[in-house]
Amino acid sequence: MNEATLRNLLREAPVPGAEAAERRGGEVVMAAFAERAVGDRAQVHRPSLPRLALALAVATLFAALLLSPAGAAVRDWVDEVFTAGVRDAEPALTEIPSGGRLLVQSGAGPWVVQPDGSRRLLGRYDEATWSPRGLYVAATDGSTLSALEPDGDPRWSLSPGGELADPRWSASGFRIAYRAGSSLRVTGADGTGDGPIDREVAPIPPAWSARGLPLLAYVRAGGELRIAETEGGAIARAAAPALPGVSSLEWAPGDAALLEAGRSALRLREIGLDKLLARTRIGPPRELPLPRSATILDAAFSPDGRSVAALLLFGRGAPRSGVVLADPHGGPPRTLFATPGRLSELAWSPDGSRLLLAWPEADQWLFVPADGHGRVRAIGDIAAQFAPGRSTAAFPQLAGWCCRPSPLGAP
Amino acid sequence: MGTEGGTIEETGRRDAPSVRLERKLVREAQQGSKPALAQLYTAHWPRAHRAAYLVVHDGAAAEDVAQDAFLAAVDALDRFDRRRPFAPWLHRIVVNRALDWARREALRRKVGEAEDQPDTAAAPAGLGGELMEALAQLPPEQRAVVVLRHLLEYTPGEIARMLELPRGTVNSRLRRALDRLRDLIEAEG
Repeated sequence: MNEATLRNLLREAPVPGAEAAERRGGEVVMAAFAERAVGDRAQVHRPSLPRLALALAVATLFAALLLSPAGAAVRDWVDEVFTAGVRDAEPALTEIPSGGRLLVQSGAGPWVVQPDGSRRLLGRYDEATWSPRGLYVAATDGSTLSALEPDGDPRWSLSPGGELADPRWSASGFRIAYRAGSSLRVTGADGTGDGPIDREVAPIPPAWSARGLPLLAYVRAGGELRIAETEGGAIARAAAPALPGVSSLEWAPGDAALLEAGRSALRLREIGLDKLLARTRIGPPRELPLPRSATILDAAFSPDGRSVAALLLFGRGAPRSGVVLADPHGGPPRTLFATPGRLSELAWSPDGSRLLLAWPEADQWLFVPADGHGRVRAIGDIAAQFAPGRSTAAFPQLAGWCCRPSPLGAP
Repeated sequence: MGTEGGTIEETGRRDAPSVRLERKLVREAQQGSKPALAQLYTAHWPRAHRAAYLVVHDGAAAEDVAQDAFLAAVDALDRFDRRRPFAPWLHRIVVNRALDWARREALRRKVGEAEDQPDTAAAPAGLGGELMEALAQLPPEQRAVVVLRHLLEYTPGEIARMLELPRGTVNSRLRRALDRLRDLIEAEG
């Protein structure tokens, strides 16, 4: 194939839904242009309503920052942060603030980062997850699931067929759930007893009971939230409609509730459990109050379960990101951190003292004190640290911060 | 969305307005002319959308990326220097956003909505289909340089500036990408 052929093929390759996309895009772009034009004309007299609302929202966000109990510390953070990242970021990760070990997924594969910042590439795996005490890592590579020592030595592998994704190690340590094509499967942590749980599930990672019970929450392909008992086969214990557009599930520490996160809402459902799990019940949904017009990029329960950290994105043209701590009991959210630019994900330290925020545009990780006091530590040059020998690299993803206290006996 | 006023002058392979007409359209759009913006949109959307799709290989994401790029362009229109061509500026935004998306999604794979599933399965049969399948197997960074070079027809030097890469890196990525595409297509054949 010569270059001319390649050029023609690229030009002529069908783009799905191109006409409809062009029409929709045109409507959005022209509407934005009209809004801008109105704003410009009205500027002499008053700002347009959307701009005024945006300005008020930003002002409110920053006022909340400055007036909140964490205000004194946060004022400094606002000063320190600008669109290109935090000034004077540390050039390399030489220790993990708050301790613990990180699992980081780069283009080359998953890395284990030790508390002193030293790191080891585990191999060419697509995704990885910690075992509950961090003694092992489960990793997928195309159609293979493997359990690895944290130095990368494989303990076992299995290939049940299909493209594997979203491995999740149970809090008990005895089981690993993963998606295989459109199905959900569970295997024993020693690689034996592999079997299906459901044949048609949505492409969302399943979530194990936080207490180590053999209960797995997942979303079926049709949009049903389901809790299944995984011992002795798959026994559906409870079901309810999932949050539309749900992208992640997480059990509250203690299993009292299940968090559903989508782009536009965070929803909690209380979970009723009895000793035999036979009367597992999913309660009615309750939406956590968050600032309107925000897009939810990531969310996670704090290790003590007292708050849910939500990473929010405001605006499209000149985006701003914020982290709020939502109250699972419905109280008002508290803004912890805000910055111009687009953060991408968050992770709690195992002791709940800090949040790690990923900032790909700035090539930085930010370690933000969860109580709002103290200094934000910024580490720069993150992409290059997980791509040695390469001049450019994609920004890596957080795959876990090990380890929260786990049930006795877990590996 | 139709075009109003003026004509789109073909300039050979890029199907974009002439430099003179483009400057005029940008100036009129800066002054608030909807027809001028509509013409810019009509002239540049198809390539921007196609470029995004060839990098992300996901219909919904390509639409989001192209839309975001145009919204960014509208937002920054007042600050745009009319002496510079519009297309490279737009394409730079498109490709960098597409790269961000592809890098994120290649690893995350947990977007959630079923309709967000990549739709590369819809690739047609024949050499075009083989190319799309082979392209999907390249890393996003290599897809981006292939798209910039062979769809949008920028020189390696221009690509290097757009992606803020050394020129040698662009050349080596192109070479590796084309070698890999050839291998994959030959293996299919």
